[in-house]
Amino acid sequence: MKPRWGWFVMPCLVVTGTLLFASQAVFLRISFYRDRSFGRVASDLTLDNYRRVLGDPFYLHSLALTAEVALLVLACSLVVGYPAAYILARMRGPWVGVLLGAMIASALVAEVIKVLGLVVIFSADGVLNRGLRALGLIDAPLSLLGTVPGVVVGLLHFTLGFVILLLFGVIQTIPRSLEEAARVHGATRLRALWRVVLPLSLPGVIAGGLVVFNLSMGAFTAAALLGGGRVLTMPVLIERTMMLETRYAIAACAAAVLMGSVLIANVATSLVLGRRRLGAVA
Amino acid sequence: MRRRLRRALPKALSAAFMAALYVFLFAPLVVVAGASLAGGARPYVSFPPDRLSLEWYARIPSRYLETIGVSLLLAASTALCATLLAVPAALGLVRGRFFGREAVALLLRAPLQVPFVVVGIAFLQLYYMMGAAIGINPRGHFVGLLLGHVFLTTPYALGTVTAVLHRFNPRLEEAARMLGATPWRTFWRVTLPLVMPGVYAGTLYAFIVSFGEVPVALFLTGSSFTTFPVEMFGALQFDFDPSLLAVSTLMLIVSMAIIVLFQRMIGVDALARAIAGRDS
Repeated sequence: MKPRWGWFVMPCLVVTGTLLFASQAVFLRISFYRDRSFGRVASDLTLDNYRRVLGDPFYLHSLALTAEVALLVLACSLVVGYPAAYILARMRGPWVGVLLGAMIASALVAEVIKVLGLVVIFSADGVLNRGLRALGLIDAPLSLLGTVPGVVVGLLHFTLGFVILLLFGVIQTIPRSLEEAARVHGATRLRALWRVVLPLSLPGVIAGGLVVFNLSMGAFTAAALLGGGRVLTMPVLIERTMMLETRYAIAACAAAVLMGSVLIANVATSLVLGRRRLGAVA
Repeated sequence: MRRRLRRALPKALSAAFMAALYVFLFAPLVVVAGASLAGGARPYVSFPPDRLSLEWYARIPSRYLETIGVSLLLAASTALCATLLAVPAALGLVRGRFFGREAVALLLRAPLQVPFVVVGIAFLQLYYMMGAAIGINPRGHFVGLLLGHVFLTTPYALGTVTAVLHRFNPRLEEAARMLGATPWRTFWRVTLPLVMPGVYAGTLYAFIVSFGEVPVALFLTGSSFTTFPVEMFGALQFDFDPSLLAVSTLMLIVSMAIIVLFQRMIGVDALARAIAGRDS
């Protein structure tokens, strides 16, 4: 008798499915309600919230800022992460295990601890400013706290480890012999990387890029703490609207808009790239 | 000479690049641990520390140590539940042949597509509604947070186990069956041991996400019940104290110990591959 493996999905399907549909249904419904004072909502359905969020330059600017931060993080993650993953994947010897283990550890440490370290590094008399001043590069202390570059650096500490591990896994599956063949036929090392390894790893790059983009669009902890109330990305704004202003309906609506934007970006990417047969995105 | 240079240069460049990268990634952690040893009465942070003292460790408010306990318990429970849900589900998804399998796979991965803040808001509203409708509001209780974190982390565990199962060689099972093992025995003695790296990686993944996660816990914890990252988040926003450096260092040591333990258990390479394969 063959085991009926299909049934094994049921417990997970019931739990995840119930929680997904129940929570999403409730919150999406509230996004159509009307806020009244002190965190109460009127339960008549209206499109006013969506009209406000999508028509108000304040929210639109926040959405654009979120996308800007996410795209910057995406670009830096890939530009730094790809060579790092390539070097790790092609490295031989006892150091690989150590470097890989350190990468896993750094990727998995809680964000709040990394952010605390970055706050100390970025502060006016912190390591960064003293170092730059000693080198004579700056006169006045440079502040990254409360700026977009500061938030991007914070998010990179969150995403880089994952991107590198993901790309490491992809590049490891590309046989070295393909590169060696290109070298034998006269390609330089860089050309072999550019014309052989990169095209073969492209589906992995796209998948990794989407993971980074999604993580960055929803990133809250680093954005809230390193942004210092001055870099108001959507997740930060949503939390403030909810917890400080207790305007539940408009917060739910902003959350729905954020989620919708991320979904649209993902679907659009896989449609555009899927047509070019790069495949294996979703 | 030139040839030797041409061979040595890429090596030197990549070594310098990797060194810079690791300095960048580990700088915040080294700074936290280093600065925590400065001590002193003034709430003043210095790195490298002028002097070494464990003073700030003695001044850690007991509240923080309690929240570390809560976070450990929550993360362990989350990891256990997520693993128990994800392992059978991965087996079902990879080996089952049933109608709508692609749709089920998509649905089980869906939580990964929802930004954490949105998960937090959605669960908070769900709990408010449950409170109004049936009088049970799990917000601010262990169960409420556990449900949220299990929802959040199960897809990660599912990803690591699925990745290992996809690489699994079915001939090994056939061989066991041909040699006379029963299906159960084959599962316990052949399938499970081979899938174990993915299971451990998934457990670790779920544990770590739950252990460090802020946005969902921020919405679902109450004043009487809170996790370490949420407590830290509040302190970093409103009242910074040097003992935070000390308690963060303790937390760092606990996390590192757990991560190294898992690396020893399944091997660094397998762990890296399992984490990398979470989305495939």
